[in-house]
Amino acid sequence: MEKIDIRRRNLLAGSAGAVVLLASSRLMAQEARPLPEYVAYKDADGLIVHSNNTIETLRSAQGVQPVTPDRLLYVRNNVTPPPASILEDRDAWEITFEGVGEPRTLTLGELKTMGVETMAMVLQCSGNGRAYFEHSPGGTPWQTGAAGCVMWTGVPLRTVVERLGGAVSGVRYVTGTGGEEIPEGIERLDVLVERSVPIEALDSIMLAWDMNGEPISLAHGGPLRMIVPGYTGVNNIKYINRLALTEDETDALIQATRYRIHPVGTEGSPEYPSVWEMAVKSWVTGPSESASAGMNQITGLAFGGMNAVESVEVSVDGGETWEAAEFIGPDLGRYAWRAFVLSKELEPGTYTIVSRATDSEGNQQPEETEPNEAGYNHNGWRRPGLEVSVA
Amino acid sequence: EAEAPDEAKLELGRTVFLERAQPACGICHTLADAGTEGAIGPVLDDLRPTVEVVTRAVTQGIGPMRPYTDLSEEEIDALAHYVAHVTGAE
Repeated sequence: MEKIDIRRRNLLAGSAGAVVLLASSRLMAQEARPLPEYVAYKDADGLIVHSNNTIETLRSAQGVQPVTPDRLLYVRNNVTPPPASILEDRDAWEITFEGVGEPRTLTLGELKTMGVETMAMVLQCSGNGRAYFEHSPGGTPWQTGAAGCVMWTGVPLRTVVERLGGAVSGVRYVTGTGGEEIPEGIERLDVLVERSVPIEALDSIMLAWDMNGEPISLAHGGPLRMIVPGYTGVNNIKYINRLALTEDETDALIQATRYRIHPVGTEGSPEYPSVWEMAVKSWVTGPSESASAGMNQITGLAFGGMNAVESVEVSVDGGETWEAAEFIGPDLGRYAWRAFVLSKELEPGTYTIVSRATDSEGNQQPEETEPNEAGYNHNGWRRPGLEVSVA
Repeated sequence: EAEAPDEAKLELGRTVFLERAQPACGICHTLADAGTEGAIGPVLDDLRPTVEVVTRAVTQGIGPMRPYTDLSEEEIDALAHYVAHVTGAE
């Protein structure tokens, strides 16, 4: 089987006079892998299965949905999830708190008595868009589908920390540990899912038990997940069983050498920036069927990462000229995405449709993202463009 | 399509998969032919990695998987052909 090369596929599909999106999804379907058992409930028709631990959403399925349902939400597990039995008695799940005045272990049932909030947030894999880097980084060649916008319900971490006597002095990071089971025979720190984020994030972190109004599924981190709004997916620790306020970052490889922004050809190490905050980004999700001449609705999704998204423009000539698109649907807050649309008369011909978003601080998507070895944080506007033939 | 590897190479590849590679591949990977049911990394029967993909993963590491520095070129080549062959990738 050939390594997926979306750039070549786009070109072929474009020259064949087909809509790129449809063509590439058909090619994917020919080599479709089965949905793994733990996500058998998901909608296979709207997903691309890269492996049992990496599954992305087709952009045609993302459409203009303000909230992504579980059945269409991408999956990225660094380590295969623990057994489903951990969900049998959710309220009995335990999490140990350290680096606070009164360190102790709390059950999820106890956390639920301390406070509750709900927020919408874009959950996006650090490697979303990796397929668009020219240097073909190793790892899953995600396109636009390793992202979704979901509603989390849980208790604010600051509330829990206050109840436990506040942070001890000198702490600089919030470190969360995942509850995946690590078999004997391999180094624990090689595969341990443990991430540290700057202590500044403490005020916005949530310990969540519901996603989109339902108990979080196993694939997405239930019974309890640490949510760090505006940060990439890996920082949102699933099955969290330990939360420590720490002076130093964890030594787990997933923090020390992986998920670092380092130059092409170099090895990751702690001297390079960690993959934490997300930047402004958008992509077009339609038209996804063969387009006909006349009025077309060009749709897409845009978000600001750490900041609210302010505006988005669409170009049908590969970035030569731009027109303002309109946001549609509700504004779910700073960390959510917004669907956009540009109603446009299209004459017969071939169009390269791209979108470019700007956040509330005036940051705009670049044309290209500077390459980094592992292919993280792609937010360039040119490469995810759609080539559409209108007949 | 690559030419089918000879029996000796496949046998060596299977031995590398089960015994010589340390930690053993099967601790993390499910591979029906080898009878392993590891559940940390991708299920190789579903992933169907090519010779090139296996070679890259073993020599350079990928994700939580570290590079295997104690295997010879011959062993890595045999391992890659074995995995690609029994999963039907090549």
